[in-house]
Amino acid sequence: MAGPHEILGMSRVLGIGTTEFLALYTDNRGTTLRSEEDGRCVFLGPSGCRVHPRRPLVCRLYPLGRSTDERGEERFALFPAQPECEAVVGRDGTIESFLKSQGVGPYLSWSRRYGELYRRMIGLLDRLDAEGELDAPADAEAPAPEKEPTRTHLSSWQDIDTSLTEYCAAKGLTPPREIDEAVALHLRAMEEWLDDLEARLGPA
Amino acid sequence: MGKQEDRKTVTRRDVLKLAGTAAAFCTSFGFLHGSQTGGVVQDKHLQMKWKQAEIKWYKGSELLYSAPFPAKVMKHLQSDETAAVEIKLFRAGQMFRNLGTLEAKH
Repeated sequence: MAGPHEILGMSRVLGIGTTEFLALYTDNRGTTLRSEEDGRCVFLGPSGCRVHPRRPLVCRLYPLGRSTDERGEERFALFPAQPECEAVVGRDGTIESFLKSQGVGPYLSWSRRYGELYRRMIGLLDRLDAEGELDAPADAEAPAPEKEPTRTHLSSWQDIDTSLTEYCAAKGLTPPREIDEAVALHLRAMEEWLDDLEARLGPA
Repeated sequence: MGKQEDRKTVTRRDVLKLAGTAAAFCTSFGFLHGSQTGGVVQDKHLQMKWKQAEIKWYKGSELLYSAPFPAKVMKHLQSDETAAVEIKLFRAGQMFRNLGTLEAKH
């Protein structure tokens, strides 16, 4: 698994853009990181992880796993030690101290923010479904949809560089260079996109 | 303004982008929706095969003492996932408090 903010971080460590990263290092239409034939992560080299400074949340958490229930309550579980894993795992300390030591804070915060956006998307899709919009044939009078450029990924929002370039061009902004600022702007752009869709749909 | 006209303001392209983004987030973040349930986690990945159990005494958050479960209790708990151990306090042969049940399945 790899969210758009994680793809951005890893791409910067490798010195490439997110568009290139998605094409080179992801599978399942840009939603999962590519693996080698033997199952190893594509970034695992002889000297360890090639994107370690910006490794995704799931890697930072290991050997913990995280889940949230429908109320958003968080739980952590411990993965059993993997015989092929060379990580040093101890049992001292608390979950809180472990999360802090792995720099998990911003990643959890971003994951929660993207989770809120996901719930809004699902709410909109539920509304459109209830109104029969998801099954409706394309309006014959409507102009033909503008052709999307050929992309390997499922949604243009996964590609932060491209989506921020388009957003900043429309708003007269300069695309941010810092990762944290770029993620914050990406979240804002997505929020505005959903605000606009919700406004166009009218009150529920 | 009629509902029909309102609907036209959300285009098929909007709907496709919305559905595509929700699907992408579902996979890339592991989000689930409604009655969806996660895949069964394989034993080797998440289900705990615990090997040791301990009893710990605390005073507030300060750990006072720690001792492993007796081997017989451990064996019982590990024998099958329906095994259980009750913890009860007795005085002069009379139980005066039941602290609860520990189940092997967790």
